[in-house]
Amino acid sequence: MGNRIYNILFHTHTVSGIVISVALYVIFFTGSFSFFRDEIANWQRGHQTSEQDAIVGSMDEYLKDIAKDHNLFGRDVEISHYFNERRVNVSLGASKDSLAADEDKARTFFYLDTEDKSTGTYVESYHLGEFLYRLHFLDQIPYPYGRYLSGFVAFFFLFAIITGILVHWNKIISNFYVFRPWAKIKTLWTDAHTALGVIGFPFQFVYAVTGAFFLLKGILVAPLVLGLYDGDQNKLYEDLEYNHPVYAYHHEKLDKNIAIDHLIAKTKEDWPDFRLKEAHIFNYGDTNMHVAISGYLGYTSKLNGLGHRIYKVADGSIIEEKVPMTNNSYLDGVKNMMFRLHFGDYAGYGLRVISFVLGLVSCFVILSGIMIWLVARDKKNIPEKRRIFNYQVANWYMAICLSLLPVTASAFIIVQFAEEVNRPFLYRTYFPIWLVVSLFFIIKKNIGFTNKWTLISGGILGLLVPVANGIASGNWMWATYANGQQQIFLVDVLWLILGIVSLWIAFFKLNASRSELAPAKD
Amino acid sequence: MPANKKYLTSSPWQRFAKISAAILGGLIVSVLFHMALASWFDHVAVIITSTFSAFILWAILMVLAYLDKNGWKIWGFYLLASIVFGAIFYFGNQTHPIV
Repeated sequence: MGNRIYNILFHTHTVSGIVISVALYVIFFTGSFSFFRDEIANWQRGHQTSEQDAIVGSMDEYLKDIAKDHNLFGRDVEISHYFNERRVNVSLGASKDSLAADEDKARTFFYLDTEDKSTGTYVESYHLGEFLYRLHFLDQIPYPYGRYLSGFVAFFFLFAIITGILVHWNKIISNFYVFRPWAKIKTLWTDAHTALGVIGFPFQFVYAVTGAFFLLKGILVAPLVLGLYDGDQNKLYEDLEYNHPVYAYHHEKLDKNIAIDHLIAKTKEDWPDFRLKEAHIFNYGDTNMHVAISGYLGYTSKLNGLGHRIYKVADGSIIEEKVPMTNNSYLDGVKNMMFRLHFGDYAGYGLRVISFVLGLVSCFVILSGIMIWLVARDKKNIPEKRRIFNYQVANWYMAICLSLLPVTASAFIIVQFAEEVNRPFLYRTYFPIWLVVSLFFIIKKNIGFTNKWTLISGGILGLLVPVANGIASGNWMWATYANGQQQIFLVDVLWLILGIVSLWIAFFKLNASRSELAPAKD
Repeated sequence: MPANKKYLTSSPWQRFAKISAAILGGLIVSVLFHMALASWFDHVAVIITSTFSAFILWAILMVLAYLDKNGWKIWGFYLLASIVFGAIFYFGNQTHPIV
């Protein structure tokens, strides 16, 4: 690679990186916690879900519970499971019965707790795990702006890691053995940035591509629909098998006791290790009532074992099926793997813990990138005014990014003591605290100080998270460990380790001679 | 050290040409390339593949757009590629319409 190309790539890497850095840091930091979204939900509520990634219990009983408040007749009813919480999603379509009351002709959606049978709307059921998961694609910024913004951040991140790896290409092998933490400040940041950047590259590449797809699929779908499908979007979704089939409504009451549990049991018997994700009932109570049972084989049986079966309820016959054991469709494989790769949920806790660590490592790569940008511009030949401006930019960036650690730790403590946690509550606590803490560090105008004190405060607050959980709910770590409440235990352990590591870095790694990792200036 | 300025584009028009070719031009070429493939081959497989390949191709085209000295030349290449892929798509879509 010639000098010209090297410098061009270097420059595009710097510019794209510095522009997206803050948003990308927020995305990676909260995204790392999102690997444990469901564990955080259960931790906050003191729940433990029995089986992983499937609807458990009797579907007929859930239907009976739903029927207490809703007239199901003539509706499409869907009970589905997305997250490992006690709650399942219930979605009721509008009644197709012409004599139905007005309230039955409206669609509705709510959550049903499978144990205490309470129901709740989306906003009421909001929890800290959901909040961090949403913040991870900036969804608190009104739709569609937040999602497109995070989508473009993901895409420019892809650009930044490609240019980054190209810039470093010739030095990958020679620099592999070089780590000079005791040399100049700048070499410390550069070595950390390049070493961790190269190690994290495959991980980050996968997340950048899948993330860009999740949030920018709109700009891909629009031209496909217009060009290939003549504007018929529904046909595209049909081809990609996102739609349910349609069964006509017969306007005749089904003269039979409605039960679907035995159909699910039959399916599970035919397909060992089948996990139920969704039961979709068409035309509830009609003679043409059908039920689609969808799910997948456990990941230890088959990675892409997606399958479904549709029964006609009147005679219990199988109308359509896709057998998960023999389903090797490329379409299902790609659709499934885009999510599995991003969520890292196909290989147990080990993979998610590694992904969590790599996510935080990426956060460090972003911060060291900001620091390199600053230190490289701290030269005598650069005008004083310019240098002050650069320092201010880095100061703001570091304050906003680094304060996320203590702010998130304090949010974990607050939700344990709050009377009721819902969406307004989380918005009103998390964002103002983040603002105040960021402003404090921005005004202090000392990056070394920001670095040290966010780590110390984050470390102490992190260590207090398991304590807060113990005091507020009685779920002390030894109790949850003894009771096998591994989801609650895991979140406590995560914070315990995070707290210890933060304090260790703050007290033993940023020692006196090192306290000025950044050039002090005001 | 920051990148050496003597190798970088200084003219604002050139910068505009490169950045727009990188973002917009790259997107158009990448989408039309996949549409051209989809119109002649198994369209479902091509479309689902594009969920990742379109973004990777777009990012690569974005990198390439900065490498030439003249940004308008890059726009020229990308427009030419778009016309070629657009034509392949047009005839493919005429021969095997999906809807």
